Amino acid sequence: MEQFEPTIVAFCCHYCAYTAADMAGSMRLEYPPNVKIIRVPCSGRVDAIHIMKALEKGADGVLVAGCLEGDCHFKNGNVKALQRVTALHPFLEEIGIEAERVQMVNMSAGMGGRFAQIATEFTEKIRELGPNPAKAGASRLAAS
Amino acid sequence: MPNQNNTVLVIGGGVGGMKAAMDLSEAGRDVVLIDQATTIGGLMTRLDRTFPTNNCDLCTISPNLSENARDKHIEVLPLTQVSGLKGQAGDFTVTLARAPRYIDMEKCTACGDCHKAFPECVRFEPGLDHRAPTCMRYPQATPQAFSIDMEKCDDVAALVNVCPAGAINPDDGERVEKRQAGAVVLAIGAELFDPSRLENFGYGVYPDVVTGLEYERIMSASGPTGGELVRPSNGKPPQRVAWIQCVGSRGINREDVPYCSGVCCMYALKEAIVTKERFRDDIEATIFYMDMRTYGKDYEIYCDRARKTYGVRLERCRPHSVISDAASGQLAISYATDASSELTTEQFDMVVLSTGFRITETACQLARVLGIELNEYNFARTQRFSPVATSRPGVYVCGVFESPKDIPETMMQASAAACLASKNLAPLAASGNGEAMLPPERDVSGEAPRIGVFVCDCGQNIGGVIDVEAVAAYAGKLPGVVLSQSAGHGCSREALEKIKAAIVKEKLNRVVIGGCSPRTHENLFQNTLREAGLNKYLVEMANIRDQDTWVHKNYPGMAVAKSKDLIRMAVSGVAQAQALSDNTLPMNKDVLVLGGGVSGMNSALELADQGHRVYLAEQAGHLGGIAMAVRKTLEGDDVQSYMADLVEKVSQHALIEVITQAIVVDHSGMPGMCKTGFQIGPRMYYRQIEHGATVLATGATHNVPRMYRLGEHAAVTTQIELDSLIEDEPERVKAWGQLVMIQCVGSRVPENPNCSRICCQSAIKNALRVLDLNPEMRVFVLYRDMRTYGFSENYYAEARRRGVIFVRYETDTPPEVTPDGDQLEIAFTDPILGRRLAITADCLALSTGMAVNEEATEDLARIFHLTRGLDGSFLEEHVKLRPTDLAVPGFFVAGSVHAPKNIKECIAQAQAAAGRVLAMLSKDTINLGAMVARVDPEKCATCLACVRACPYGVPFINEDRYSEIDPAKCHGCGICASECPAKAIELTRFEDAPIMTRLEGLLERSA
Repeated sequence: MEQFEPTIVAFCCHYCAYTAADMAGSMRLEYPPNVKIIRVPCSGRVDAIHIMKALEKGADGVLVAGCLEGDCHFKNGNVKALQRVTALHPFLEEIGIEAERVQMVNMSAGMGGRFAQIATEFTEKIRELGPNPAKAGASRLAAS
Repeated sequence: MPNQNNTVLVIGGGVGGMKAAMDLSEAGRDVVLIDQATTIGGLMTRLDRTFPTNNCDLCTISPNLSENARDKHIEVLPLTQVSGLKGQAGDFTVTLARAPRYIDMEKCTACGDCHKAFPECVRFEPGLDHRAPTCMRYPQATPQAFSIDMEKCDDVAALVNVCPAGAINPDDGERVEKRQAGAVVLAIGAELFDPSRLENFGYGVYPDVVTGLEYERIMSASGPTGGELVRPSNGKPPQRVAWIQCVGSRGINREDVPYCSGVCCMYALKEAIVTKERFRDDIEATIFYMDMRTYGKDYEIYCDRARKTYGVRLERCRPHSVISDAASGQLAISYATDASSELTTEQFDMVVLSTGFRITETACQLARVLGIELNEYNFARTQRFSPVATSRPGVYVCGVFESPKDIPETMMQASAAACLASKNLAPLAASGNGEAMLPPERDVSGEAPRIGVFVCDCGQNIGGVIDVEAVAAYAGKLPGVVLSQSAGHGCSREALEKIKAAIVKEKLNRVVIGGCSPRTHENLFQNTLREAGLNKYLVEMANIRDQDTWVHKNYPGMAVAKSKDLIRMAVSGVAQAQALSDNTLPMNKDVLVLGGGVSGMNSALELADQGHRVYLAEQAGHLGGIAMAVRKTLEGDDVQSYMADLVEKVSQHALIEVITQAIVVDHSGMPGMCKTGFQIGPRMYYRQIEHGATVLATGATHNVPRMYRLGEHAAVTTQIELDSLIEDEPERVKAWGQLVMIQCVGSRVPENPNCSRICCQSAIKNALRVLDLNPEMRVFVLYRDMRTYGFSENYYAEARRRGVIFVRYETDTPPEVTPDGDQLEIAFTDPILGRRLAITADCLALSTGMAVNEEATEDLARIFHLTRGLDGSFLEEHVKLRPTDLAVPGFFVAGSVHAPKNIKECIAQAQAAAGRVLAMLSKDTINLGAMVARVDPEKCATCLACVRACPYGVPFINEDRYSEIDPAKCHGCGICASECPAKAIELTRFEDAPIMTRLEGLLERSA
């Protein structure tokens, strides 16, 4: 059987995580192409509905990536983001989606290496978890 | 029409000249930028990539080139030289000689028909570049026009006829013009040494021996081989490539110059890394070097990466010659290493000669025309503590013509030269916003999306990994897309003109660029849209380079799929984009300079001299900083009298307020209008300062590692203490019989991986001074690599000549220090004898260098929301091209807080920071952008969620009992929008709907 290639959406804040991802580029650090980045001004802009939309539309994993704790360009947007991600976890479990599919991570703009490492590790983790059950449900619905 | 006494003449269109021109134009000054070549761009356009980011060079520079050409303040005159300079600072009359191009620029459409009809017949320096009689130096050339070498043309009539536009004018002749200018900036660079003058390396005889620049051309996508690395002799890919360093430099032989060119170690490492990156295990890269001089910011890490990650072999030896084996075509290099006295001979397929900078005869002539002094190697002589001022007032110099240097340092000097040049000009009149020059914005509301997609290949950067044409064809089928095409180097002037034309012709109302990062290029494309009559917020970039082809080279299939995903996402996002207008506020023209050392004081002085009120805040109780502990420079200049003079000038200046014992505690506001809070004095009273821009010049700390019994034994000292000791207690120093110095103490180690840059100079300076006191003294320097770059190499040579003994040590066998009464016994391994030796020393001077002031930078980074690199220093906006701007607008950096530097280099960056501030504050209004939160009163339930969530306390409940957000105060983070339970708040540009559509676009395939 062909290896399962998960689709991963990473919401990256403009000031740190998105810059770190670009930095990984200038350092030519390889990471799996499964990770696709959506730029947001601050991780605090990421709303639960954005994460849910990503899962609904077939993402197998979602990363919310912000600045290091205490270093948020907008003071505490990353703390808000973490609160939102944490609050979302029990609801995900309730509807049968593993909470690990949605993760908050932090990095500074200079951490290209950390971005690539997180992207690699998270992709592996989601690969092991298998496809997003919501997607399987959707395709069953479509089939029936 | 330019106001004459508001004009600066910039000579030389390389990176330095362009930077100076752009800084001046940003500050509202007019610039005449001349270059004797047919196009601007200089040396950098011929490079393949630049260190330490390994960015494609043209991608980095071409936005600047086209910016220069588009700028209304800059007049670009190629094929032009200066033939006279009369008058004085503030009022020069310049005579310009303009050589014929034989092409009418107004008529030429750059179609290339003339180029096609007249095949290449002339070889062009640097050897590998073929030039036809009609030529464009590189595909992204600015100005976008060909030029003709009439002397090389046999059939003029046929050439004239081939042009469909009738632009070729064989009767074009030289013209002489006179211009007025207030100041002159010299940025003419240098040429590279021509190794065909040496027989021993076989250059010019063996085709596979090339110079570093030629190797760049071979590797370059726009080069003669289209980026294929092949041996010039047989067209086959090489398997073993060797670099030989210091060819023509650091020598005493015929054709050699004694100085170090400062950049060749880094460019050889870069070429080796890029080679290994492309061909991995199929190729071996070896660099033969004397000292590895990776002394710039993060360069040491780059060198480590070359060795450890890419397996570049570094062999410490200066090979004498290259000998070709006629039968095999291989090139033999014989060399000796420390390990063995036998000669080792190795065969290589290609040999790259790392040649350094030489000043051209044309430059010397120009110096005579301008009446400026040159040094013994024909570089421009500058004033001791004013590194960009030449001997003639009003004439400034930047870049390699001042001394050998790399691009970031050239950029600093260029900004510094722009700053000093503007001092000679008439005060600025109130600035317009330039809107008048632009066509009116077309109203696209209500129109169905007509999206144009432009996919860049960025040379090999994108095009080498994915099939750009195929991706463009795919994008063409997406809903709303009416035009999709590949755009080559999308940021080049040519491509931008095409995009503009397409917007008009196809009536596009939205644009997607598939290319690099919006962080660096969004602005450029936004301006392009605006120039084509579209609102600038109707463009979206898909980052298919930095976040795709650069990182997924090993999965080309998935990289293609991802690029399609990202473009699809951008297309669906942009379809929702709306025209927006930016909010503006008045600019505060006062400046806060943090740090009262040599850098801070220089920045403050330049700014105050040009009319800005400056608050100079220093944490200590007095001005001066680290330089107060330095007595002499390597060149023998008296630092203390300079400092006393500087402190006096700063303290007496009517526009500078010095605030000592000041600690920054808070900061709020935005670039152009902010407030910084301090606790001041022993009573720690609170004071808030309002200002528009901030210069960080807080310096570095002396690194004092507890090594080699520093702080335990009285005979162990640091270079900086020794510097004072020589001045204050010469009798004591004179009595020493043996002095030992250890280099790289606490630098180039895992805890502090960077080189401290100044310690080799300090060691040489002190060694020479103790020998002045006592010529009999035995001085030993234990070192890893001597990094006396540029002209400081001469002092290193002098130290060797005067008997200072230099012994190299390896990090795995460091020197050991044992106390022996008042003296010390220092044991070390001699690499040539391969034995452990011991010396008894009366003094041990440790070169401890500088370290990032961890506590201070961490605090400031937190308070100002600045980002820091891995070493803890502030991250610049662009390490190469904007080394003085920080990533947060309105913040600039100067001096050793940026990276270790000597005093001269600190002054240059301080003046550069002042120049950058002048440019920013020349505008009367602040553009706040359009990204602000807006409340829908209909939906607001007055729940206070936004009031509590906003990090800046902006939302409030107004008289009508709903939440209101002042767009002038909103920072645009969008936290409130996500917190609002009623979804009554939307952040413009990042509303829920476009985010959702982007997600839908991105995940379409998987759903």
